[in-house]
Amino acid sequence: MKLREIGIGKTVETLGAWMLGALWLLPVVFAFWSAFHPAEYSTSFSLFAPLTIDNFVRAWSYAPFPRYLLNTFILVTLILAAQFILCTLAAYGFARFEFFGKNVVFALVLLQLMIMPEVLLVENYRTISNLGLLDTIPAIGLPYMASAFGIFLLRQSFKTIPKELVEAAQVEGLSAVGILWRVYVPLARSTYIAYGLVSVSYHWNNFLWPLVITSSVNSRPLTVGLAIFGAPESGVDWSIITAATVMTMAPLLVAFILFQRQFVQSFMHSGIK
Amino acid sequence: MATSKIILTDVYKSWGKAEALADINFVCGDGELLVLLGPSGCGKSTTLRLIAGLETPTSGSIEIGGRDVSNLPPVKRNISMVFQNYALFPHLNVAENILFGLKARKVPKKERQKRLKDTAALLGLTEFMDRKPAQLSGGQRQRIALGRAIVAQVSVCLMDEPLSNLDAKLRQEMRQEIRSLQQRLKMTMVYVTHDQVEAMTIADKIILMKDGRIEQHGTPEDLYNRPATAFTGSFIGNPPMNILTSDGPLSKSFPDSSYFLGIRPENISISNTSGIEGQVVAIEYLGADTLIVCQWGEQLITLTVKGKTDALVGDYLRLNWREENIHLFNRDSGVRVSNPAGGTAR
Repeated sequence: MKLREIGIGKTVETLGAWMLGALWLLPVVFAFWSAFHPAEYSTSFSLFAPLTIDNFVRAWSYAPFPRYLLNTFILVTLILAAQFILCTLAAYGFARFEFFGKNVVFALVLLQLMIMPEVLLVENYRTISNLGLLDTIPAIGLPYMASAFGIFLLRQSFKTIPKELVEAAQVEGLSAVGILWRVYVPLARSTYIAYGLVSVSYHWNNFLWPLVITSSVNSRPLTVGLAIFGAPESGVDWSIITAATVMTMAPLLVAFILFQRQFVQSFMHSGIK
Repeated sequence: MATSKIILTDVYKSWGKAEALADINFVCGDGELLVLLGPSGCGKSTTLRLIAGLETPTSGSIEIGGRDVSNLPPVKRNISMVFQNYALFPHLNVAENILFGLKARKVPKKERQKRLKDTAALLGLTEFMDRKPAQLSGGQRQRIALGRAIVAQVSVCLMDEPLSNLDAKLRQEMRQEIRSLQQRLKMTMVYVTHDQVEAMTIADKIILMKDGRIEQHGTPEDLYNRPATAFTGSFIGNPPMNILTSDGPLSKSFPDSSYFLGIRPENISISNTSGIEGQVVAIEYLGADTLIVCQWGEQLITLTVKGKTDALVGDYLRLNWREENIHLFNRDSGVRVSNPAGGTAR
């Protein structure tokens, strides 16, 4: 009786998992289908429809995708580098040192986790405008660089590092910065990988803020470029739009498939799920 | 080489209102192996951490090699330290772990390689240089930790329960190895342990601690033969000393119930005619000798006899001892009041 209950539970779970997987996969499959076939097949399915890469060629030439790709690449790199540096230093402070008001400051950092970035759209726009950075790549990244999530995650990871290791390094003559660089950072490697993945994919896909703050080809990331490209006023050609979409997501998809094992392991190690 | 004597003077340490250490005064001579011994929570590790500079004393001074180091950070104290869990860096291989401190101290590369080679040969680690600590056994990890301490070539080495994670056989081997290394390299070593056998076998001098205070400081023989307190008597020796008390006459020179009588198990003999009568409650055969635990009134008395015993559980035995073997302690303070050689209480 009990065994059967478990059996049914398992079946339902498996079914649910497959359904969720299929739901996630469908648009991707459609995008690939439509991108690799001539326009007339984009909404009708025929197994032996002729394959083509013509859509990609056209999409590539219709809009400055190479520039968008470069912008996005610079953007995610810039954000990730800044986040690693800022969050590492902040997390190190919270994890290892005692200072006046530490808990209050940490609570403020956590508070930031609860605010959706979209709420601050207008305020952030004003700040960026005052800084004279409108329509630049750093302007897209700036609001995200001191990431509360990153600080929190790294602090938790740093806190699990045995005190003895830090003391051993102290006895061996390392400075506070030396201990951070040679003990804390290497030991939190899996957290860095996991966080890096979350950050890159979030900012690669981020849309609303970049749309608001950019207005020229020189700063526009892929997502915004793609939206403008696919806007109804330029006529809806699904084949070209999906080809552009595939180009947009391909680098991330390829990277994830290549490093899948490391990523999954890192997530398991760092406890982000 | 400069002297590396360690002197602690009137050291106190407390966290808030909780006093961890009080009135710590001792000298660890040049090239001496001093063991800090005591039950958990007695302050032995705290004392070591104070010497290392990982904690600062609330008051008092610490001197190493003729220099007051009380307020210096660990790196300026010219010490090396071995931690209980070895504190090896899991992301570095054996060679990198051993050289960790030398790189931080900017020792030239050629010198580093030479010292690494010597240390590895000394500890039998040469073939493991490229492995990560996780791929090695407990004993090998222990050796890496020792290597890191030796390669620094400083004359003071601090050890915090270095053998407590090893199995019994390995522990014995390693403690002999540590002792011979210490003597060969003429290191001044402060060694923390809760294992009295380890302390007795390895030490030049032992400091026995309890509740943040020093109970007794002396050679292993001193602690064994002339325990300064009932606690020392009951802590040192395996099995430990019997600490007995009685309202009636317990021994010729036992004055009254305001005293404890201490008698070592090996000094108790079974007699036909005289002595106190106890009932056997347990017998442990150890091979070379046998432990017999007897119930005498409310108290248990342990004695050892050579070889095997004919006694059975439930038997009554008459237990006897010689007057010169008893130790008397004040019942309130636990402090020794007799001279066992004289055998008379004052």
